[in-house]
Amino acid sequence: MTEASISPTQDDGAVGGSPPRDGVRVGVYVCHCGGNISDVVDTAAVAEALAHHPDVAVSRDYVFMCSDPGQNLIVEDIQAGRVNRVVVAACSPTLHETTFRKALERAGLNPYLYEHVNIREQTSWVHKGDHERATRKAIRLTAAGVEKVAQQEELHSIAVEVTHHVAVIGGGVAGMTAALATADQGIGVTLIEAADCLGGRMQELNTVYPTDDKAADLVRDLEGRVTAHAKIEILLAARVTEMDGHVGKFRIAVQLADRSIREIRAGAVIFATGFDHYQPIEGELGHGTTPAVVTLPEFQNVLREAMPAEGGFTYDGRVVRSVAFIHCVGSRQIEGIHAPQPDGKVNDYCSRVCCTATLHAVKQLQDRFPEVLVYDLHKDIRTYGRGHEDLYELASRRGTLFFRFPDEEPPTVNVQDGKILVTTKDILTWGEELAIPADMVVLATGMMPRDISDLIAMRKLPVGADRFLQEVHPKLRPVEMANNGILLAGACQGPMDINEACAAAQTAAVKAAILLAKPVIELDPFVAEVNQDLCDGCELCLAECEYDGALTMVDVTANGVTARRAVVTPALCVGCGACAAVCPTRAINVAGWTLDQFDAMVDAIVAEDVASLATSERRRKSYKPLSVAVKS
Amino acid sequence: MKTTTRQIRTDVLVVGAGIAGLQASLDLADQGRSVVLVEKRPSIGGAMINLSKVFPTLDCASCITTPRMASVAHHPNIQLFTLTELRSVEKTTDRFRAQMVKKPRFIDESKCIGCKRCEEACTVYLPDEFEHGLGARKAISIPFTNAIPQYPVLDEENCLLCGSCARACPTECIDFLQEPEEIEVDAGAVIMTTGFDLTPIDVKPHYGGGGFPNVLSPLQMERLLAPHGPYGGVMRPSDGRTPDSIAYVQCAGSRDKSIGVPYCSRVCCMYAIKQAMLLSGSLPIADITIYYMDIRAFGKGYEQFYQNAKAMGINFVKAKVARIREDENHNLFLRIERQDDGSGPQEVQHDLVVLSLGMVPAWIPSRDGIVPLEADSDGFVRLPSAKLRPNLTTMDGVFAAGAATGPKDIVDAITDAGAAAMAASNYLARLAGSRVVTAGAVR
Amino acid sequence: MRSADDLKILIITTMISSYPGANTVGQARLQYSPGTYIIRVPDPVLFPEDFYLRCFRKGMDGIIVMSSGSDCPYEGAYQRLSARIGRVYERMKAQGISSSRLKLTTVCTVCKAAFLKEIRDMQEAILADDGERPTLAVQAA
Repeated sequence: MTEASISPTQDDGAVGGSPPRDGVRVGVYVCHCGGNISDVVDTAAVAEALAHHPDVAVSRDYVFMCSDPGQNLIVEDIQAGRVNRVVVAACSPTLHETTFRKALERAGLNPYLYEHVNIREQTSWVHKGDHERATRKAIRLTAAGVEKVAQQEELHSIAVEVTHHVAVIGGGVAGMTAALATADQGIGVTLIEAADCLGGRMQELNTVYPTDDKAADLVRDLEGRVTAHAKIEILLAARVTEMDGHVGKFRIAVQLADRSIREIRAGAVIFATGFDHYQPIEGELGHGTTPAVVTLPEFQNVLREAMPAEGGFTYDGRVVRSVAFIHCVGSRQIEGIHAPQPDGKVNDYCSRVCCTATLHAVKQLQDRFPEVLVYDLHKDIRTYGRGHEDLYELASRRGTLFFRFPDEEPPTVNVQDGKILVTTKDILTWGEELAIPADMVVLATGMMPRDISDLIAMRKLPVGADRFLQEVHPKLRPVEMANNGILLAGACQGPMDINEACAAAQTAAVKAAILLAKPVIELDPFVAEVNQDLCDGCELCLAECEYDGALTMVDVTANGVTARRAVVTPALCVGCGACAAVCPTRAINVAGWTLDQFDAMVDAIVAEDVASLATSERRRKSYKPLSVAVKS
Repeated sequence: MKTTTRQIRTDVLVVGAGIAGLQASLDLADQGRSVVLVEKRPSIGGAMINLSKVFPTLDCASCITTPRMASVAHHPNIQLFTLTELRSVEKTTDRFRAQMVKKPRFIDESKCIGCKRCEEACTVYLPDEFEHGLGARKAISIPFTNAIPQYPVLDEENCLLCGSCARACPTECIDFLQEPEEIEVDAGAVIMTTGFDLTPIDVKPHYGGGGFPNVLSPLQMERLLAPHGPYGGVMRPSDGRTPDSIAYVQCAGSRDKSIGVPYCSRVCCMYAIKQAMLLSGSLPIADITIYYMDIRAFGKGYEQFYQNAKAMGINFVKAKVARIREDENHNLFLRIERQDDGSGPQEVQHDLVVLSLGMVPAWIPSRDGIVPLEADSDGFVRLPSAKLRPNLTTMDGVFAAGAATGPKDIVDAITDAGAAAMAASNYLARLAGSRVVTAGAVR
Repeated sequence: MRSADDLKILIITTMISSYPGANTVGQARLQYSPGTYIIRVPDPVLFPEDFYLRCFRKGMDGIIVMSSGSDCPYEGAYQRLSARIGRVYERMKAQGISSSRLKLTTVCTVCKAAFLKEIRDMQEAILADDGERPTLAVQAA
């Protein structure tokens, strides 16, 4: 390790700038990075130039700032009272910003009184051929860092007190799983179910794919554990009538069967409101007009009640020798071909579970009535999951005849002389038109979200084009909503099968458990804040804010005068700064990223000479808006 | 072999630092659980950090993976071990004892500043694993641009011991004599997130058996499409020519009993569609054809993505590809049988072919294996109560998630990992009788 | 006439995308002009229209706003940013500043080529625009 090389001297070995003003004493530390920076940037010249900045008290350069001796330079300067704000000009902040913030903390300084300037990845490594200009650039960038930190206030993470309780809306398989997983962490749960029993859609099934477990057993298992759990309170025949608050403290009003209202306070809310089956329009593929045309859920009932009898499988008093299953009814719809839903949109999405559910129904049918001939009319067979393909193969082996219809030309179901004829174009026989006689037709109907428009309106929940609840990031944050503290479990978010719904429910539970792991949630301090002295109540900021409740207008009384002022709810603010951009008086800023700081940084970049820069105090007083936005 | 030994006690040992392992670790650590995360490769990030963009959002994969990797690396409750192999896990009464070996990088991590001077000085060029052989790396190198940690690894087998790197290093951190380190972990629970491998490209001799330069694996195509890829664009490996006609052969490593992969790999349809879309963006005049059996666009927003691809002019042809041959210029000829018209068997020419390879388990469990779990017939971790408890394995206290339990795309792996973290956390809570917060901040 | 390296180009980057993108360029040791000054923000949507005009008035020759585009983590921020930049263009026009001196673009964490191209394009645009700094007729209100 080389000695700390120190630019021209004072008694303590550091360069003294002008006497520090208004208490701001910035320490500047320029790193050589063992030649990675200093081979291109004249690091000593940078330290020397910065020493002339009026806010800089100490300016040093050193071979490895990230090393222990390097960090100790900072700690010692802070502890000796020489500096109370720090700039390190070194590598990218992604590598060592945290390192140096921790050094500040060790020295007893607020870690946010720190600015990291990147003179390696964005200077020395990219301007190898021009040492002089690279050095000049490093000086300007470091000066900009000084300008920024000189105006930096202490920041503290925002503490939101947390109600140690979770509300789960919906008592199907996803809701019960989420409730159990959360309650197992010792967190109290209120499980709110609109029906008068738990179990949801799973109660409609006989057995589940691909394990062939009895659905009733699985429901009973879940229900038993939920009911027995000391931490779970179950509200049946209950309806949510109000929901407000934010992460950590939601308030939910629930109307019970006796019309009384229960109020629930919860730190997080899990939506498990589930799905509805697509209901064919009257006459669609013969449904509703021909008794032997049923939906897949209706066929589950048929299967449940069908008794092996003389002559085989019977339905509606007739022997059924052949069944045609038609896929994608109410799913993968195409505008102009399929009739739209009441909202004018077709269901253009895939319902994910129906291919496997259909082939599983075929298996259940043929397990008991092997003589029944099965036709399967599909666009694609999407048996994607573990064990699903086996069902496809089994059906093929047992003689199911597969026909593939074009996306744009779905089959039709007609009745001639009391016989059902399914007419379809079959791609597999090169587009031949086929008329398939079938005794029964089963429509593999898709999933649609449960109508929860009242709940959606209460918290302005994001909904996708497919009408399902929309997660904040479809790839990386699949169970969280943009509304912090509101989580998604199961098919309210999109079609999924039971085990996918269970996985989603447990993931929603883990997110709730994380939020509730401590008595307070600590949120990043980088959120908007309003200077009440500057706010003139013009409300321009309100229109910019995308986050419901983050910014509100309230009556504020000061010195006997009451006025409407903007107020930020930190727990709901994400710190994007859209509001700050439109405030004519600069009353709103994002903490840590104020516009005054950026103006000062630009001044430092354009300045010819570091010494000419104003002190932070003078600058703060000199700001005048270039023009005032006019409220429309 | 001289070794040092370290002992660590932790709540949960997470094995594999792909996206599932990262997510499971974060979801535990954010609850206050301590985590030891072990990864055999030199960087975390798994398969996801290797991708160009992700479907159906077309987000840049690196941009959304890197922040998550950084969160893991900086988390006070997570201890990360890269280039470290798990050797054994045995159950003691209520806990697990795991033996790991941290292999030498031959650099002192406490001194390295990630400046790559050693890499610049090294004179030995080797095929770059991160670029799937399409680019070159040095015998000492940081594995890839946004690798975490940003330390180089000295390739022991190929190093000439010339000393150039050591002379170039400004911190004198190169240590040619570094020894492996044995680490013993005492963990309350274990999560296996061991991920997948692609079905080998040479598994089908009638598709060239891996010997045709212009027949690519999908991950090679990911690299060609990445903004920081090896060629800076999409070119034919054989001659650097921009391809005018590109074909995808679907189910080239799935739904095929003859290669022992009878199941659907779930992601191949979507990555093929995604790559086709990206290709039509970067090569607007190229013809892109996808030969498929079924298009399985089943996830949220996937069907719409597929329909967009059709509208963009990507050709979807329902056909089986019987074999592929190449001519002396490495042009490719596919023997196909269309199933959607009566045109019969025919041969079609393409400049570049991507085999849509499937997923096989990266680790196949066995009762006498490193972790004594059972595998299903598909080789993935067996889940005895898959329906309601999708992360429970055959061993109490050991959980599994992500592609270790069957092919999954990113979002399904992330959801599954969160569920595994919850299951492990609840298992520990049950053992402890009450919930104990062991450490640290919640973020 | 100034050389490209004498220009002062402000590059506004986002924490999540283009700032790490600029680091990627550095890690690859790709070279570009030192007349470039990178600052990072959570999202450029926080800058008022005035900010850009003030930058030009103070002597900035060009500004490249490298947003996160579709990777933007903030609801509606990209749309607002884009609308705001549109209004800045109008005000630049009114003040006689060439619109080529401000560019809104998207750069990802590994978009090396795009990053370099934006800088080259901006340098060319400024030098084509007489290579002179814009003079502003506007005064502080």
